[in-house]
Formats: sequence, C-alpha cells, structure tokens
Amino acid sequence: MPPVTAELATVPVAHPGAAPAGRSPTTVVLRRTARRTVRSGALWGYVFGAVVVSSAWSYSSIYKTPAERAALAAAFGSNRTTIALFGPAPHLETVAGFTVLKTFLTLTVIGAVWGLLTATRLLRGEEQDGRWELLLAGATTRGRAAAQALGGLLAGIAVLWAVTALLLVVAGRSSRVDIGPGAALFFALALVAGALMFTAVGALTSQLAATRRQAAGYAGAFLGVSYALRLVADSGTGLHWLVWCTPLGWIEGLHPLTSARWLPLVPVGAFTVVVGVVTVRLAASRDIGSSTIPDRDRAAPRLRLLSGQLGLTVRLVRPTLVAWALALAATGLIFGLVAEGAGATLSGSSVHDVFARLGASGGGASAYLGITFLLVAVLLAFVAAAQVTAARSEELDGRLDPLLTRPVARTRWLAGRLGVAVLALTAGATVAGLATLAGAVAGGAHVDGGAVVGAGLNTLAPSVCVLGLGVLAYGIAPRSASLAVYAVVAWSVLVDVIGGIGALDHWVADTSVFHQMAAAPSAPPHWPAIGWMVALGVLSAVAGCAAFARRDVQGA
Amino acid sequence: MADPPVVRTRGLTKRYRGTDALVGLDLEVAAGEVVGYLGPNGAGKTTTIRLLLGLIRPTSGTAEVFGLDSLRDAVAVHRRLAYVSGEQSLWPNLTGAEALHLLGQVQGTVDAGYRDQLVGRFDLDPSKKVRAYSKGNRQKVGLIAALASRPDLLVLDEPTAGLDPLMAHEFRRCVGEARTRGQTVFLSSHVLSEVEALCDRVAVLREGRLIEMGTLADMRHLSAVTVEVTFESDAPDLSAVDGVLSASSHGHHASLQVRGPMEPLLRVLAAAGVRQLRSREPSLEELFLTLYGDGDGATGDG
Repeated sequence: MPPVTAELATVPVAHPGAAPAGRSPTTVVLRRTARRTVRSGALWGYVFGAVVVSSAWSYSSIYKTPAERAALAAAFGSNRTTIALFGPAPHLETVAGFTVLKTFLTLTVIGAVWGLLTATRLLRGEEQDGRWELLLAGATTRGRAAAQALGGLLAGIAVLWAVTALLLVVAGRSSRVDIGPGAALFFALALVAGALMFTAVGALTSQLAATRRQAAGYAGAFLGVSYALRLVADSGTGLHWLVWCTPLGWIEGLHPLTSARWLPLVPVGAFTVVVGVVTVRLAASRDIGSSTIPDRDRAAPRLRLLSGQLGLTVRLVRPTLVAWALALAATGLIFGLVAEGAGATLSGSSVHDVFARLGASGGGASAYLGITFLLVAVLLAFVAAAQVTAARSEELDGRLDPLLTRPVARTRWLAGRLGVAVLALTAGATVAGLATLAGAVAGGAHVDGGAVVGAGLNTLAPSVCVLGLGVLAYGIAPRSASLAVYAVVAWSVLVDVIGGIGALDHWVADTSVFHQMAAAPSAPPHWPAIGWMVALGVLSAVAGCAAFARRDVQGA
Repeated sequence: MADPPVVRTRGLTKRYRGTDALVGLDLEVAAGEVVGYLGPNGAGKTTTIRLLLGLIRPTSGTAEVFGLDSLRDAVAVHRRLAYVSGEQSLWPNLTGAEALHLLGQVQGTVDAGYRDQLVGRFDLDPSKKVRAYSKGNRQKVGLIAALASRPDLLVLDEPTAGLDPLMAHEFRRCVGEARTRGQTVFLSSHVLSEVEALCDRVAVLREGRLIEMGTLADMRHLSAVTVEVTFESDAPDLSAVDGVLSASSHGHHASLQVRGPMEPLLRVLAAAGVRQLRSREPSLEELFLTLYGDGDGATGDG
C-alpha cells in the first residue's frame, strides 16, 4: 500500500534515542505544530497584506478628488449601520481611514476564524485522530505538550504578523498607499490581534470539547458573542462601555492608522496569557482523549437518511452546508442593509469608471450590490472547494472502503456527492439573494427584487465550474486535489481584484471564474459566460468521475 | 462445466512507483474452502485483498472473483462478498447501531436476527457513537456487518486486530459457523493459532511472492521437528550433528530443529547424559520461521 501516514512516520516518538541527531525529542510537539501553522500563517499574511494594499489602491483610484472623499466621509462617517457592522469610521477622507473601515474589522474576524480553526485542528483534531497519543508516548507530559503546541501556534501568528507587516511596509512606500513603516507595523499588529486571541480561545475549547467540530463550535460561538457585543456597543444606544467587554472591542480600540492607541494591547495580551495558562492547566489535569465538558457519546439511532450511500452523504455534509448557508444569509443581509447608504456615495465619473471596470453599471444601491455579489460568489466557490476536500478525506481516512467494498459503484458515490454539492450551492446562492433583498428592503433601498434574487443565482456558475474542476483533480491527481481546487479559487480572486483596478491584461483577467461573471444585479447576467462555465464544470466533473472509476482507491 | 473457483488470480502483479508489492500471484480458492493467507507485514497481503476487491488496479495479470473481473464487475462481485479490514474506519458521528443499519442497507442483504445475535455475542454497545469506540469495538462493527450479510465469500484482512482474546475466540466460532454453512473464507492473518485453528489451506506470501501453498499437513513435512533436550550438565554444542538445522542452548537446556533421520542425533545424545527429551511437531509459528529464515525485516504495512 502507498504510505499515507508518511508525516507521522517521521515523528520520533517512543524513545529519546529514536530522535534524529540534533533534534530534541522534547520539542517534537512544538516543531510539529509550528511547521503546520507557519505555512498557513504565511499564506494568510499574504492575503491580509494583499487585501489591505488593494483596498488602499482602489480608494485612491475611485475617490480622486477631495470633494468625492468628503462625500464618502459624510455618507459613511456617521452612518450608524456602517459603524455597527464595520466599526467606527473616522477620517474617511483619507486613504488610512477608508482602509481601516474596509479591512480592519473584516480581517480581524477572518483572522479570528483562522486562529480558532487552526488551534482546534492542531490540538483537538490531532487528539481525536489519535496522533496526539502517539506524541505523548514520547518524552513529554500532557501539560508540556499543550504548552509546546501553544508555542507552535504562536510561531504561526508571528509569521502571520511578519508577512502582513512586510507587505504593508513595502506597499506603504507607494504614494497611493502612503502608510509609514511605524504605522504599518502597528496596523499589522492590530490585524493579527484577533488571530492571537482566538487561537488561544480555540486551544482552550480544544480542552473543553471532545471533538474538533464541537471545539470549533464553542470558539465560534464565543466569537459570535464578541461580535454581537461590539455591534451593540457601536450602535449608538448609550451602551458604548460594552466595547471594553469584548475582545473585538479591545481590538477596535487600537485605532490603527488613524489615531493609534497602545493601551488596549494590555487586555489583549492579558486575555491571551490567561487563556493560554488555563489551557495548559486543563490539558495537564485531564486524561488523553477525554474532555472537560462531558461528551455526549451516546445517541438514539436516527435511521431516516441511512438507507443508502446518498443519504449518508446528505447526513455527513449537512451540518457544514447549513452553517455555510447561514453565513451566506448573514453576509447578504449585511450588504443589503448598507446598500442604500453605500450606493448613495457612488456618484462622480471616476467612481463609475472603476465600477464599470469591475462590471457594474448604473448607479446607487444596485451598482453596490453588483460588487457585493462578487463576494458571495467567492464564498460559494470556497464551499465548492471544501466539498472536494471533504470527498477526498472520506477516501484518505478509509471511510470510503466500507462503501466501495459493498455493491456501490464508485461513479455513483462521487456523482451523489456532486449532486448534493450542486443542490447545496444552489440553495446557498438562493439564500444569499433572498437575504440581500430582505436587507436592501429593510435598509430602504429601491431595488428590483427579481434582479437581486437573480443576482444571487448568477453567482452559481463560477462555483459549479470550480466544483467540476475540483472533481477532475480528484479523479486524476487525488493527492493534490485540495491544493488544486483552492488554487483555482485563490487565483481567480487575486486576478479579479487586481484586474478590477485595471492593472491586468484582459487575457489574464479572463482566467478568473469571477471575472467571467456579470456584476448582477446592476448588469444583466452574461449568459454565454454562464454557459461556458457550467459546461466546463460539467465536462470536468464527468471526466473526473471517469478517472476516479479507473484509478486506485487510497484507503487507510 | 463446474462452477468457477470463488477466487482465481493469474499472474496478478501490482507495482507502486518501482516497488513490487505483489508479483505474479497465481491463486485459486474453491467454494467452501477456508484459506489462510500468511505473511509478514509488507508481504503484499493487503495489496492482494485490495486487488480482489477491485479497489486498486493490477499492473498486470487478472483477478477474478466468482468468475467475474474484480474491477470491471466490482458491484456484482460485492453483492456476494463481505470484507472486513484490519483498520476499520467508520463515520465518527454515527452510532454503532446507525453504522450497522447503514452498512446492511448498502449491502442489500442482511440477516437482522443473526446481526442482533452477533451484537450480543460480541458484547457491542450499539448506542455509542463510533468516535467513542475503541479500535476493537470498531472492528466488531465491521465484523458484525460482514457476518450478518451471510455472504458467499468472506474476505477478512487481519480481522482480529484489536480484539481481546475472548472476542477473538467468538470470532473463530463465527468463522466456524460460516464454514459449516458452506461459505468461503479468505483470511489474512499473522495470528498463527487463528489460521491453524480455522484454515483448510494456507498460502504463504513473502516480499510480494507466493512461496508456499498447501494444507497444513502438506507443509509440515517440509519442516523440521522440534527437539527439546535437558541435560544433566551444561548442554554440549550440537549444531554440527547431521540433520540438525539449528541449535540454541541455555544452561542445561537445548532446543533443536531437526530434519531428516534422527539417528545421528540420537547417537550423540545417548552418550551425553540426557535427563529429559521431548520432540513435537512444529507449530505454524515455527513453520513460518523455517520458511522465512529468521530475522527477516518487515518494511511498512500491507
């Protein structure tokens, strides 16, 4: 059999003497965790930096004149909805103020999600899969191993900060961005503060919960509460003191770029240290594989869906897909709510120029929504990519064997997963459209309801294309399928963002699945492009299924 | 024409990136036979089984089960067989009962009464979630699901891995029942007593090649007899005596492997002050060592 646990095999476990020369076996957990976090930290640091820089660039190309900038500041600077959703927005007449509004809280939340997912995966996930046990058989204790894992996670966050800071410092020298080195370093610090605190939270919930999913759920719930508290604090209802009760409020209080303050770093640091210490204590005092909160490991049988492999697929992917649908609904609702205010600032010829380049025409709320549905399309594409990865891990973890050694044809299994994924994507696109419409109506925007719902469905084609390409990769080169499908999405995002500011040849821009998509609802759906993307997706999926039927299944 | 053999491979070969996992395997298993498949880790046992199940493609050669191509007709083949892997992977959030129900539904045929009886015999708590099961309990789920479908062919890849001795004993009873019912069993194992107790024929695999195939009786004559001697004083060196393949001694005690006529050894022993002499047929374990020589390194799994 092919060695599927090669990484494990390289870990010196049982005896100090078994460690490769020059490597202390006592730091194996630290090195192992660091290696895996650092890679991901570098990638996300690059994303953080790219988002900030592209946002700053786009500001200076969209809002060229002081009059346009003043209009923007007037529209958003004191808009309660905007402030509640994205935090305070001072100095919108400057690049710095605009960049903070557009990226700070969003990237903080993304960083927090990254942190909690990374921590729960590397702590509870590893333990759940039994790899932790193997490590603990070596020369370390539970508490020390947890401390080392925290150290490894910290290394990843340090890299996240360093890469973000590097990009900001370098790009900050450009006159269009104009951020000084000191301010850039501090902004990078503020941007990773969320990742730092929620990595600690994820490490803590990994001690509390028995499964990775539960641990991530607890940490995610804490993030949700933190966000809600901050939202209430910023909503102008006299509860502003609440901002000191939530980690996201402390981060907001750093006010990077606009009026930097160091004091909130104290609660940020204290919170991280306290949570880290509690994590190590809990880890030291419990048995391996157990959890502080008792696990519900018994349940009455629910057999309704379990009458075949298709029902099993539905049951396996349902929790994830429901969570995604909720996220898409929330995203749509938020964008819908601010559409009217945002649309109002989109006046003046240079704004139209840029939006036209991104594909939006017309003005007002529907032009703004034309851009926000791009984000929905990106999210959907990530859902599609995640489904490819999920199929791959069923195979890699050996859970495909019990099905494929029974009378289940490989192509039927894969087609079933594909079908469920397409249905879920369609539902997600519909939900996003409806939620956006609901938000827009509630926010007082005058939009065409049918066009907005249609714009939701318009985002489907890129994700179907991504799904099909992912299945092709899965059929042909299963080992690199995850990498390939995420690369398609990442490339498309990057090209579309850069192409959006007119910096790319259209041949390159055309390789982005998102660039192919019309910016509905402000533009009508571009049917030939939809046709091409769906056809490419379907053909790839068929080829992928055929390849999968012919290759070796790689079981556990 | 008689029924085709349940399993027939011809020149079955699997190569992974330059490594020969299995080379030119010719194997036949007749209906109703219980065949043991023995070999150290990395010998190619799991590779053979995954080829028979159509999970992987042969580099060359063919594998037929029930006279059907194992890859092309996989679905038809799988209707009549059940497979238990030594590393039973199941869905962590399903309970044991849910997993058994699902596997029965997917298989299509299930003897629900027998299944419930097996749950009791194997002392499985089906209300627990799979993630809370030990490896042995996951193994039980796999075994129960396979046995309860009453397949014509049971393909078992080190099925007792992780089972405690009591449950391993129960497993043997189940295989005995399957044999009585006329089911064919292909059992890969390195628990030799298991194979010795259950199997009509044994195939021995080493480094991807079939090196021996026969009944236990067939294979015994190939091997040496084990002679254990206790002397009045320190044991003399007997390794040079005719017919002695290997000798090891510890204080007054010596253990010998002897092949062929005993006479030269007996002549030497008669003069050496023997207190006790025992000779016995070799266990499969010793047979195994004789076939392989000793100290053969195992590399990787499967």
